[in-house]
Amino acid sequence: MKFMSKFFISILLYLSVFLNLNAQEENAAVSDSIVVQEKYGLRLGLDASKLTRSFIESDYSGFEINGDYRLGKRLYVAGELGAEEKTTATPYLNSTAKGSYFKVGLDYNMYENWAGMDNMVYSGIRFGISNFNQTLNNYTIYDTNSQTWGPHEITESERFSGLTTGWLELLLGVKAEVLNNLFLGVNFQIKGRLFETAPNNFENIYIPGFGRTFDSGRFSSGLGYTISYLIPLYKRDR
Amino acid sequence: MNKKSLFIGTDMKTHYLFLALISLLLFSCEKDDICSESTQTTPRLVLEFYDISAPEDLKQVPGLFAIGLDNDANEVEIINELVSTRSTIELPLQNNANQTQFKLYKSYDLVDSTVVGNPDIITVTYAIETLYISRACGYINTYEIQTFSISNDSERWMTSFEILTTQITNENEIHVKILH
Repeated sequence: MKFMSKFFISILLYLSVFLNLNAQEENAAVSDSIVVQEKYGLRLGLDASKLTRSFIESDYSGFEINGDYRLGKRLYVAGELGAEEKTTATPYLNSTAKGSYFKVGLDYNMYENWAGMDNMVYSGIRFGISNFNQTLNNYTIYDTNSQTWGPHEITESERFSGLTTGWLELLLGVKAEVLNNLFLGVNFQIKGRLFETAPNNFENIYIPGFGRTFDSGRFSSGLGYTISYLIPLYKRDR
Repeated sequence: MNKKSLFIGTDMKTHYLFLALISLLLFSCEKDDICSESTQTTPRLVLEFYDISAPEDLKQVPGLFAIGLDNDANEVEIINELVSTRSTIELPLQNNANQTQFKLYKSYDLVDSTVVGNPDIITVTYAIETLYISRACGYINTYEIQTFSISNDSERWMTSFEILTTQITNENEIHVKILH
């Protein structure tokens, strides 16, 4: 269900960008010989999916503000600042990760805008760092012979604090200007852990900003839906 | 005109790229969350039986059968434990206590619903260590044997024992050797 709703939001955003592009094609011939200026400024926004999930899912709360500042025709310096709390439950283990994170990097706009348009199809790179703690809420000893004496559950919680993880992230995304200076965006992230402090006799199950970890390796992925507002600071000829 | 059609071509590529990305998200599975049956579980105590007159030779125990004894000395059936003639037995230890007792029968049989056979009681005490395995399986217990004893009775069939390793971390090795 979660994936289906993500899917439909993606399709809608995708279609809105697609229609936008078609509209541009019709206007193309008109604005040929006019000197066009482009807006430069600071764009600030929120991650809508984290907010939505905070309301819908009882085991998650999260918040992220994001911003970018246009450096040149195609290049933006970008960053995100956020906090997450996520409880992960498997049949044998229940734990909660809580902490904050910071990401900084660059976005590169691959999209050639038509006159007056300010959309982005971009790729980006980030360095992310997360500071968090994990609480082992309860666990049941994994024992396939436990029917004899009964399962043994430990409900005394244990907290592992001062955990850190750093990662590198590649992004692919779109940002579409839906109203003047108001942008909707979706981006897909692939992340690879560079370093981490792991708790003793436990592991990092969920890392705020990075997401869940996988047994298979250091990689994870993520999806973000952003809503942001551009504070125009100056204009420059394109 | 030429430039425009080229431009549309690039757009289509971008569209396909995003459709591919979106469909990828639908197939994110989470197999890591299921504990695989091949994962090393909490080990049982493994006993192996040897010949008292030739201590290097395995000797089968006819009609060997084990019953657990809880902390109040009540008999507890061990799951999957069946009467059989064999030279090895695996016994599950209690995880909420530091001691477990077992009644080991030689020549166990039921005659007119009365148990016949020779029972000996063994007592093992141990320290428990909890070891993290994975997100799906959580933790297992491993044990360090502190004492092992065979209760005295008039017809003891287990003559003596030797602790081969105090560390119970898997079931692939023999922990205690019993001579009979």
